[in-house]
Amino acid sequence: MTAVMEQRPPVMLSATAGDASSFSQLIEPLLDPAFRLAAVMLADRAAAEDAVQEASIKAWRKLRQLRGDQRSLRSWFLSIVANECRMARRQRWWSVVRLAEPPRAEDSTDHYGGAAGDVRRALLRLKPEDRLPLVLHFYLDLPLDEVARTLGVSESAAKSRIYRAAQRLRPELSMEEVF
Amino acid sequence: MGREDFRRELRDGFESIAGPPDAGLTGRVHSALVEAPERRGPVWIAGLAAALIAAMAVGALFIAGPLRQQNQQPLPAGIATPSPLPTSDVSNLPALTCNNANTVSTEGHVGEPIAYVNAVRTGTHTGYDRITIQFQNGLPGDIQIATQDNATFTQGASGRQVVLQGSAGLLITMHGVDEHTQYTGPVDFKTNYPVLLEAQQVQDFEGVVQWGLGLSRGACYRAFLLQSPLRLVIDFSTA
Repeated sequence: MTAVMEQRPPVMLSATAGDASSFSQLIEPLLDPAFRLAAVMLADRAAAEDAVQEASIKAWRKLRQLRGDQRSLRSWFLSIVANECRMARRQRWWSVVRLAEPPRAEDSTDHYGGAAGDVRRALLRLKPEDRLPLVLHFYLDLPLDEVARTLGVSESAAKSRIYRAAQRLRPELSMEEVF
Repeated sequence: MGREDFRRELRDGFESIAGPPDAGLTGRVHSALVEAPERRGPVWIAGLAAALIAAMAVGALFIAGPLRQQNQQPLPAGIATPSPLPTSDVSNLPALTCNNANTVSTEGHVGEPIAYVNAVRTGTHTGYDRITIQFQNGLPGDIQIATQDNATFTQGASGRQVVLQGSAGLLITMHGVDEHTQYTGPVDFKTNYPVLLEAQQVQDFEGVVQWGLGLSRGACYRAFLLQSPLRLVIDFSTA
């Protein structure tokens, strides 16, 4: 553990010591993929921003628990964002029931027609847990080992999850057409 | 369908759902991190710190008790302690007010002839949105707060009108302060929080600094000062 800590760059060490600005600097390049992940998981850009913000604060508080060096940061942070999205979905369900919020106009309007619209609708019909491996691998371009770390599973399990989710979109797809 | 076709189709589909984040996301996350409560260390450190603080408090009471009448130095009115406060613990903060005008007392503070703003931050938390204006070397002579039923403000030097996001507003006016000496951060925050939608500097001229806040609705708020560092904090209820 000590050896790993020593390999960390100064900004990571000061972030680990509790410096918020250093942590902010550290995760700045990760906010774009984090937002894209959250926006797909929640299908709501405003909720995605909230989720990324909350995840950032939680990640900062948990930074001491990060194993490995800065290369491990992306999958670790994205796993926190994904978890925050799961919580946001549960809370959103609760708030909809509690407050009887009317559906937002932007949610009910689909501006995408044709083939692009079909794919979009098919993706949104997938369960968020099926969307997650697809987003990580095909949208954020994470390699399989990082997808596996983000999902907290083995590499072969990550590959299976990606393939299963892809087949839910396109049942005729073979493994070779996916990877 | 080929492998590349499938990948392209998925990427386009995801892009139509998500797209790039708004430009303000980085600033929003940075503000939230800086405003977040201090990170907790391991339990044993917290325990040790609590024991030390308790020992010091007992010692201070024992030593200073007989001298209390001579040495009492009240904090300036309006300064809340302790600081920094955990964001989730709002029990010892001032109550929310729905008054349309308010003055944050800086009486009793002896500082430099002019205070310098050196940081402005925004953040959203459970139950409230927050703006913080931090001073480097002392408090302004006075701080006035006025709500309004629109988000249109007049810029101090030019007289030009600016329309912020939202349907209500709040104007912070501080005398005896400048923002151009030490502050290099943004002068317009587009936050998209539940209540605090935008914060824009509308004057930094002749020792008067004004910030206009665009609000989604006329919300109740609390305004107070905190120490270490000295800062003005305004919370808007999102309930």
